[in-house]
Amino acid sequence: MHFRIEQWRAWAPGLESLDDWRTWCAAPVRVADGQQQPDVSFLPAMQRRRLSRLARMLFQVAWPLAEAYPALPLIFASRHGETPRTLAILGDLARDEPLSPTQFSLSVHNAIIGQWSILRGDTSEMTAVAAAGDGLEHAMLEASMLLGEGAPAVLLVIAEEAPPAVYAPYIDDVPFPYAVALLLTPGDDWHLQLCTGAGQQAEWPHPLSLLRALCSGQPTLVHHWKNRQWLWSHNKA
Amino acid sequence: MSDLQLEIKHLIIEALGLEDMEAADIGADLPLFGEGLGLDSVDALELGLAIQKRFGIKIDAEAKDTREHFANVASLAAFVAARQSA
Repeated sequence: MHFRIEQWRAWAPGLESLDDWRTWCAAPVRVADGQQQPDVSFLPAMQRRRLSRLARMLFQVAWPLAEAYPALPLIFASRHGETPRTLAILGDLARDEPLSPTQFSLSVHNAIIGQWSILRGDTSEMTAVAAAGDGLEHAMLEASMLLGEGAPAVLLVIAEEAPPAVYAPYIDDVPFPYAVALLLTPGDDWHLQLCTGAGQQAEWPHPLSLLRALCSGQPTLVHHWKNRQWLWSHNKA
Repeated sequence: MSDLQLEIKHLIIEALGLEDMEAADIGADLPLFGEGLGLDSVDALELGLAIQKRFGIKIDAEAKDTREHFANVASLAAFVAARQSA
């Protein structure tokens, strides 16, 4: 598949501006999570009150990219989704307490894209993907199909929230909470190809490795997950 | 304003995550749903649950007069007071 990465934005605790990310990409470190909230003050208070931090992360990175497009299909990928919400619900169940309707209705994986659709008034096709360590590439596949169908642009957002402490021993692919948004358009700049082959797992989650490549102008990336080998190559025309 | 009304205002702000809002912003006779505070049907369920938990009373969501009890803070306080003394 091939596409153009028109623009990107990212958020992590303490990493908000493009300069923050350039610095991080040059010398990546595990950033500390001080429970900072992404700024979504562009939304009225009554609209943002139900947004979890994961949802706020998506809105923060994606909103400016969507501004030029009244209708923009969205692919949202997250391996772990709203684990803090589902854990809260499980806790209520274990204590035999009634479930919060808000927590329950917003715990499903496509709740965030539903909120996005409502708040933007955009009824374009939107998809929520929960894939494993190569969720970025599976989301790219979804986006490429939409571009192939004729969409002038597709928004791709991949985000992970820090897992609650009780899950932390089982989750090793979220070094810190992060969200990456890519505005994709048809083009031949980037090629992404799937091969079979095992290899070493990348040090950072694939979306963060991609940001490093975008910042440094690195022309190729090889991402492995299980027996899947994804080859990214930038076509320097 | 009664203590119970004030407690209910705090409960509404806390249970419904009304950022940037204080008890003084919610008048006792301000309509909670639709025009007024602007709460919606999910809020109605969430607030009903919060009232039941806090005051240990049962609310029948199907009962006709439930809608009237939830009209504003004053009616809600009167409803809670009546149930607690029953």
